[in-house]
Order: sequence, then structure tokens, then C-alpha cells
Amino acid sequence: MSQLRVLNTSIFLFFVFIIQETVIARIHFPFNGFSLYIAALMVLLSLEDRAGSLVFGFIGGLVMDLSTSATTPFGQWALAMTFIGYIFSVNRESLGDFIDRPLLFVLFVCASSAISMVIFLLIGVLLGQENGPFLRNILLILANTFWTFLIIPIFLPVIIRIRKMLLTNRERV
Amino acid sequence: MAKGGGNRSRLLLVLLLVSSLFLITLDLRGVNVASTIRGGVATALSPVENLFSKIFSPFGRFTTDLRNLGQSNSKIADLTSEINKLKAKDIVDQDMIGQLNQLKNVLDLAGRGGYKVVAARVINRGSAATFKQTITIDVGSKNGVSKNMTVISDSGLVGVVRSVTNNSAIVLLMSDPTFKIGVRIAGTQSIGVISGQGGNSYLLQLLDATGEIKVGDALVARGSSGGRPFVPGVPVGIVTTVQSNASSITQNADVVGISDLGSIGVVAVVISPPNDDPRDSLVPKPKPTVTVYVTPTPTPTPSK
Repeated sequence: MSQLRVLNTSIFLFFVFIIQETVIARIHFPFNGFSLYIAALMVLLSLEDRAGSLVFGFIGGLVMDLSTSATTPFGQWALAMTFIGYIFSVNRESLGDFIDRPLLFVLFVCASSAISMVIFLLIGVLLGQENGPFLRNILLILANTFWTFLIIPIFLPVIIRIRKMLLTNRERV
Repeated sequence: MAKGGGNRSRLLLVLLLVSSLFLITLDLRGVNVASTIRGGVATALSPVENLFSKIFSPFGRFTTDLRNLGQSNSKIADLTSEINKLKAKDIVDQDMIGQLNQLKNVLDLAGRGGYKVVAARVINRGSAATFKQTITIDVGSKNGVSKNMTVISDSGLVGVVRSVTNNSAIVLLMSDPTFKIGVRIAGTQSIGVISGQGGNSYLLQLLDATGEIKVGDALVARGSSGGRPFVPGVPVGIVTTVQSNASSITQNADVVGISDLGSIGVVAVVISPPNDDPRDSLVPKPKPTVTVYVTPTPTPTPSK
């Protein structure tokens, strides 16, 4: 994985983060919730190799930690997403190729988005944070999963195409 | 070869985990690196947020409106005729007029309470992924806003300033489940604590064991020392249900928030508390009801 690739993908993630913070967050989704950024990051991670899913998980988490509305310690999302990257890197190959199975791909992105939020909350609990009522958090995660399932099929081809553009010539071969 | 790759991955994993934990430790120990980076991002993003705020203002509640579609045909018919009337009156910018009205009412409330305020526009809402209920406003440290200042709307409390950048500030809404505020029942000396529940309903726990809560009681902020984070006298909510439980030590009640946090567009940050506690002067007065007496006209009896 080249340094140029890491730089390109980081810029792309930051761009999606700006869209999430300035446009998506403005829309009043019922039950408060859809994160395009998490979904896009999960799509990217699921297409990466072992090292790629770890590195981009960490970078993606760091970008999430930049959120101006976050009151959690800087690095908490980075830790959660590194865990997710590790889970992807270990289990990714056993699931086969997603590109040919779009429905499985969408379900995988939904499930992994939910798991990443659960891991984030669990780390928060370990750090002694107050996260509010358990049921409300579960509802938020379920709502995010629901909206991800509905909306991500629209963005999936776009994200896959952008990722292809971000690959270096050697990686394309 | 594969074994070598596996070892490299493991080493990378350990390196990234240690880096994350290092960053978290730095942040928890109060090193200002994280807040400086977040502040920089907020300063850089606020012009973009302002721009999108102007573009998306009329469409922001699209999904809410969509949910209510089809609830009542007659209501839709009424609204359609109302829209036609509005078009006829050539009202070009309802959104702007609404914001002006909110601003007028906010300043009116602040004036009655004796608060020195800075008016602000809501330019963004917190992302769902943060698990916090926040809004971003378009005033910051250059306008005199600092951390832990009270934020009010045209009807009462909205929240408290959580973090500030040069030209924007993040406000933790009172609906956030981690939000707690000391209140007093208007007209009495009974005090209690209100906690956010995630929506527009709140839980009141009365600290005074002999105090009495009634449905319809108005609650005002008790105020903090030095007026921060809460200035005294700001209306907070109205009691809707009293939970009667003989085994409970404290009396509890359900409260509805006085501010509609879902639709606020203009708020004010209290930068200086009043010289005197406004007590109950800001509690909304009940609207006077009009009673109409009708005397039935006698029905004429046919003459024989």
C-alpha cells in the first residue's frame, strides 16, 4: 500500500466527513440517525486487504474524532475503528467477494456499522463515560442500521467507483 | 510468506491500538492537542456550515413533514387553501420572518430577565454518531461567548455552551440524557433536579420531601454560582404528570420542556447574569380565556 494511496483515501474520508457534518447531520431523520460516514468507511474497509483495513480503520476513526459535536476523548473512535479493521482483516476473506453479491454487501455494511457503534459505546463504558439510557442507545443504533440499509444502496456504486479511482496503477493490476 | 504477512499485520495492529490509547490518554489527562485540533476543524467548517444552513433551511424538516403526510385529508385540504392564500399575499420569505420573530421574542425574554445576551443562529445539529444531542451556533469567542454559558430561546432554556471556537460554539441541549439542572417550582421554594430523557419530556426529582408538585406547575432554573452554567429565573418546563409512589423517598414528576428543541432557529447566549434574580417574572402567563354567554331566543308559538 503506497503512501499516495493512504493520502488519497484520507482526503476522500475527510470529504465524506464534511458532507456528514454539514449536510447529513442537518436532516431530521426519525429516531435521530443516519451516518453516511460510518457506512462509507465500512464499504472501504470491506474492500481492503488486511493491512488496508487496519490502517484505514485507524485513519477513518481519527477523522471521526474530529467531529465538532463529539464530547468523547480524542482517539476513542480511532480505537473502535481499529478494532473493526481487525475484525474485517481476520474474517473478510471467508466471506468471499462482495462486488458480485450487492445484497450481502449492503447487509454486511449495515451489520458492521451497528457493531462499530456498539464497540464505540463499550469503549466509552470502559472509560467511565455516561452514555445515557441503554434502550435509547439501542434505538439509535437500530435506526442507523435501518437508514443505512435504505440509503447505502444509492451510494454504494459511487463509493466503489471512487475507491477504484483512488487505487494506484500497481494495485489496479 | 503468509506467516511474515501475518506478523506484519499483528505488529501494525498493536502499533495502531497503542497509538489510539495514547491519544485517549493524552485527551483524558487534559493535554490540549485534541481540543486544539477539534477547534481548528470547527473554525474551518463553520463557514461551510453557514453556507449549507442558508441553502438547506427550507428543506431541513423534509423527513418530518413527509411522516405527517396523509394523516388527514381535511387537514391537507385546509393547508392547501392556506398555501394559496399565502401565495396571494405574496409572502416571499416565511423562513426569514419566522427567524425575526424568534429573535424578537428571545430578546424580549432576555430583556425582561435582565440578561445580557448575544443572539445566535442555529447552523447545525450534532451528528447521530456522537450519541449526544447538540447544536452548533454561529457565535464564538470573538462575540464574547465562552464555555458553560446558558443558552435560551424565545420561551426558555435550550442548553449550555459546551465548547467554543473563534466563530462558532457547540451547545449541549437540555434534552440530552446527561443533562441535569437544578430547578425551583415557580411560586414556591421547593427545589428539584430535572434530567434530560432524549426527547421533549424530562424527569423532575423533587429534593424537598415536604414539597408538593401539581400538574401545570411551572419550573424555573435555580441558577448557579456566578450565573454559570445556569442563570437564575429561566423557564425550563411544565409539570405534566406527577408520579405518586409511596415507597419512593423523593417525589418524581414528568415534565414537558418549555422550548421546542426540534424547531429552534434562533437562540441567545447569556453572557452576563442579571444583577437581581428575576424570580418568577419570566414564567409564561396563562392566556386569558374568553367566555361567551348565549341567550336562546324564544321560539314563537302559533296563535290559536
